[in-house]
Amino acid sequence: MKLKLNINNKFYNTNIDGDESLLDILRKIGFKSVKKGCDTGVCGVCSVLINGKPTLSCQFLAARAQGAKITTVEGLGKKADKIVDLIVSEGADQCGYCGPSLVLTTYAMKKELKNPTVEKINHYLTGNLCRCSGYEGQLRGIKKYMGVK
Amino acid sequence: MRFEKFVQPDNLQTALEILKTDPDSVILGGTTFLRLSNKKYSIGIDLSKLNLDYIKENNDQIEIGAYTSLRTIETDSVINKYFGNLLPKSLENLIGIQFRNNATIGGAIFSRLGFTEINTALLVLDCELEFEKNGIVAFSKFISNFNIKRDILNKIIIKKNKGKSSYKMIRNSDADFAILSVAVSNFDKIKIAVGTRPSIAKLSEKASQIINSDNNKIEEAASLIADEFKFGDDLRASGKYRKMIAPILVSRALLEVLK
Repeated sequence: MKLKLNINNKFYNTNIDGDESLLDILRKIGFKSVKKGCDTGVCGVCSVLINGKPTLSCQFLAARAQGAKITTVEGLGKKADKIVDLIVSEGADQCGYCGPSLVLTTYAMKKELKNPTVEKINHYLTGNLCRCSGYEGQLRGIKKYMGVK
Repeated sequence: MRFEKFVQPDNLQTALEILKTDPDSVILGGTTFLRLSNKKYSIGIDLSKLNLDYIKENNDQIEIGAYTSLRTIETDSVINKYFGNLLPKSLENLIGIQFRNNATIGGAIFSRLGFTEINTALLVLDCELEFEKNGIVAFSKFISNFNIKRDILNKIIIKKNKGKSSYKMIRNSDADFAILSVAVSNFDKIKIAVGTRPSIAKLSEKASQIINSDNNKIEEAASLIADEFKFGDDLRASGKYRKMIAPILVSRALLEVLK
């Protein structure tokens, strides 16, 4: 079936099978920041924003995405740089595989949480797994971004 | 999960017609669990364009559309105003926010999965389901009646009863499925539900009878729970462990609603 997707405010025409995930289509189009990890809805590395909400693209049918506003980390531009710089300044980024999804989710978290606390941040990021950093360095950078001590 | 054809019907009647005429068709919810299977369907019926994503508050009830995401329910101000945060508490530890933004309440209910904690919470509320073919069915009847299969869940209706409620669960880690979940409410009478045993949530009869006859018999009622329900083994916990934990969670929940 034919599909017209709004990704980072640009339209892309593509052909898909009805049961293909948004993750596979985004990677086919060329958005390689969207990673394929567990493919079962657990690790969070395939997260994108759909109409501003962090969503697992491995679980989301591409056919449903028509008419939605999809944002990958490429679409955040300088807004992503600010988060990345804070995380990197804490020496936190290692293999980088979980990085794009963590940055996207952090960006969405800043918009959503009205009174952020360490507990709320930790809870919000539960769905973003990182297998090499141990989280501490990343969280130091994210706390700075969120204005939480 | 695979399907040969993806359709987005204009209305629920058309969707039901497809479902009735093609036994290999399937209604697509958030597809979070469906995707994990290797099953191949003929038609995937998508209802996401039919405006079933809503939470409405009327004078005496709250209506939740079947395509409302679990995260919307968890954070909605109307839902948070009632039932002592019972529903948000039953959702807030399920995997992660990205998962809950996609998983739908309709999918969570209709698939009658044992690990779905919100079913434990809904059992102690005055809750009904509206189906396209079967009409209005009490939630407690749906959960125990596996004859309702080829139908479409339209909305969930919850009466705005006044009273206290409590939700308790135990899990190995933050985002894992619960080992055990318990919900207790005290509206016109006390209701106790135990879920993720790992089988599907169920209402207590014996323990509820005891505690409704005398509100001081908390320990007696809680201890009955261990024998009233069947507790099974899975990779997260043994049935023996669940059986030991259940009376403790029930006792804590009863204390909370009766204090």
